[in-house]
Amino acid sequence: MKFQVNRDVFSEAVSFAVKLLPQRTTLPILSGVLIDANDGGLTLSTFDYEVSARTKIEADVSEAGQVLVSGRLLAEIASRLPNAPVNFSTESGRIVVTCGSANFTLLSMPVEEYPTLPQVEGTSGVIPGERFAEAVSQVAVAASRDDVTPVITGVQLEASETNLSLVATDRYRVAIRDIDWDGGDAPAETVQALVPARIIAEIGKTFGHSAQIQVTITNADDREVIAFSAGDKTVTSLLIKGNFPPVRRLFPETVENYAVMNTADLIEATRRVSLVLEREAALRFSFSAEGVKLEAIGSEHAQASEQIDAHLVGDDTVVSLKPSFLLDGLGAVHSEFVRISFTKTDNPNKPGPVLITSQTSRDEPGADNYKYLLQPNLLLR
Amino acid sequence: MSKQDGSSRQVTTAPLDDRTATIMHVDMDAFFASVELLERPDLRGKPVIVGHASARSVVTAATYEARRYGVNSAMPMAVALRRCPHAVVLEPHFDRYQHFSRQVRAIFEEFTPRVEPLSIDEAFLDITGARALFGGAYAIGTELRRRVLDRTGLTCSVGAAPTKFLAKLASTRAKPDGLLIVPEPDTLRFLHPQPISALWGVGPKTADHLTRLGLRTVADVAAVPIETLRAAIGDAGATRLHALAWGRDPRIVDTVSAEKSIGHETTFETDVRDAETLKRELLRLSLRVGERLRRSDVAARTVSLKLRLHDFTTLTRSRTLNEPTDLGRRVYEEAVTLLEALGRHGEGVRLIGVRAEQLSADAGGGAVLWDDDESWRDTEAAVDALNAKFGEGALRPAALLGPGGARRHHAREQADRDRPV
Repeated sequence: MKFQVNRDVFSEAVSFAVKLLPQRTTLPILSGVLIDANDGGLTLSTFDYEVSARTKIEADVSEAGQVLVSGRLLAEIASRLPNAPVNFSTESGRIVVTCGSANFTLLSMPVEEYPTLPQVEGTSGVIPGERFAEAVSQVAVAASRDDVTPVITGVQLEASETNLSLVATDRYRVAIRDIDWDGGDAPAETVQALVPARIIAEIGKTFGHSAQIQVTITNADDREVIAFSAGDKTVTSLLIKGNFPPVRRLFPETVENYAVMNTADLIEATRRVSLVLEREAALRFSFSAEGVKLEAIGSEHAQASEQIDAHLVGDDTVVSLKPSFLLDGLGAVHSEFVRISFTKTDNPNKPGPVLITSQTSRDEPGADNYKYLLQPNLLLR
Repeated sequence: MSKQDGSSRQVTTAPLDDRTATIMHVDMDAFFASVELLERPDLRGKPVIVGHASARSVVTAATYEARRYGVNSAMPMAVALRRCPHAVVLEPHFDRYQHFSRQVRAIFEEFTPRVEPLSIDEAFLDITGARALFGGAYAIGTELRRRVLDRTGLTCSVGAAPTKFLAKLASTRAKPDGLLIVPEPDTLRFLHPQPISALWGVGPKTADHLTRLGLRTVADVAAVPIETLRAAIGDAGATRLHALAWGRDPRIVDTVSAEKSIGHETTFETDVRDAETLKRELLRLSLRVGERLRRSDVAARTVSLKLRLHDFTTLTRSRTLNEPTDLGRRVYEEAVTLLEALGRHGEGVRLIGVRAEQLSADAGGGAVLWDDDESWRDTEAAVDALNAKFGEGALRPAALLGPGGARRHHAREQADRDRPV
């Protein structure tokens, strides 16, 4: 195998291919990037049986062939190569990379055992890249990071006709965002897919600059796979098995009792006041006509409070919220103002959840449909 | 520890300057066996083993007379009887042990409220504040041992020292029926000649690593550079062992975390190969663990599974939960996941056990939007109420019914004794 390739194009392609590789793999060959050189250029791919990434780039191929080489090492080398064409060749089981005056000899791993990447055909729907990236970043914060309950470590995608919903939860909060979905001529059936949150977050970042992303959900060899493609790049992921909990019913139909605040002010105040809190402890928010008062009763040594402006509609309300969960929601609304709505509950031992939504001004709700539902703690006094 | 038969006994027999010995460790002598002997005074001075007489059972406890023949607790009954064929085997009575444990605990509390029970038969006492009322460690230790003997007829051994580790080591050395005080100036003289296995946290594996380095006594461990220890047994272990070898142990007497873990285990009459039977037994054990968790008002963050195979290979695996639980059902689900992850299908299992660890005061559900366990919570609360009214096992899962139920295979089950030190 022998080829020459543009340094920046090559570096970008390797970095894309290895980005989704896990830190540790069960089999050494799965930590490799497979480079396939032929008349059409280069195909770089990685696959660890869960996630695959594949990209095609142009190259001047003088001898076709395949090699498998350590992904992370190659990515580090590629990112530090001098600004000159990269020459790749194989010599008796070794891979020789030269670029300008730099030379590397790398071990070639056996290609024979490398698994075949999942093949995807057709398109289930098309989504706008930038919107998708934003929605993923807003929703994935609420996904559980705990493998004990796998179904909630994913982001649930629900597509129907012209709408794609992204939903995630860790049982403490639920985040939902809808974006446009172009299902094409496909029959208007509901498509569902539960994608690992870590992976969809990377996909969002990777494809955020593409105008459009093709989404394909297929069932290959009894394994449900979702593929995202844009340009010459494709990422596939196994779907998480199991039923996503029915979280939509947790959202209130209407809420009359709410407060609107400046998002940045509330974030700043929450960060300041929570400094004295012990880990896992909650902040107390008292909403009244005068505004909202934040109080932290931390250890016996330290306490803190702060009052900021709030426009309250409805009754005076007191809630106890965990600052990290509130900040996740406030960071995700992406609007100058934020609305916190209070739901009523009949259970005295369980306060009603609060709903966080965007607000373009004090009186004008945001145009997006992002919703972040958070369960308050019990008020302790 | 070395032999548990009292052959290397050390005791303090006269008052001394004991102002620095502020932590006391009290350990009942051959507790279960001694309690049984209260009913059978005729067997005093004879080798007695507590446990079921069946061949597959294990030794629950043994008197010092039996220990001299090499009988130890947790040893298979068959081996014990081979070593000491003329020993008398008595059935265990756990309710009696609980009763005496409470009585002894009440005596401890006459001296200080700062009592940390370690298990049914041992506890740490912080006697810093008690010396004004009762005198120093010698006076307290002597009086405490007298009261325990007068009121229960049982003997105990007491160690007093500046740290927990040394106090426990001292009580072990004082056994049986002894008092050993190690004041601060004497600590290294007492500690350094001890074998490395005396160090807290040194099991057979670590001991093996250390022996390979030529380290046999605590003095050897103290003298070796800490880097050498690190290379042999890792960072955390090395730091701790080095501190212990110099008599340093920062742990205080902790009265809050009364129980460190709650577990149940079963040794089968004959090896069990069938996964369904194992799971059924796990269900039964897990439900009992859950019941005890709720009774103690605690929730567990970690569940561990113990499996002893036909060849005595013992496997333990644990999982940490998302959030603490006091539900037997959740304990069961985790235990089954652990069992399946072990992948030892079809191998004969001799013993199976489940244990709830990292206990904390029940958080009462926490701020979740919905609770998957809500219906189980209601169910188990209802079962608790009915069993309290109609007796243990009045209501249980259908899987545990049937001819003999899971009890068919049963040789021994006990709320096992925790020894976190």
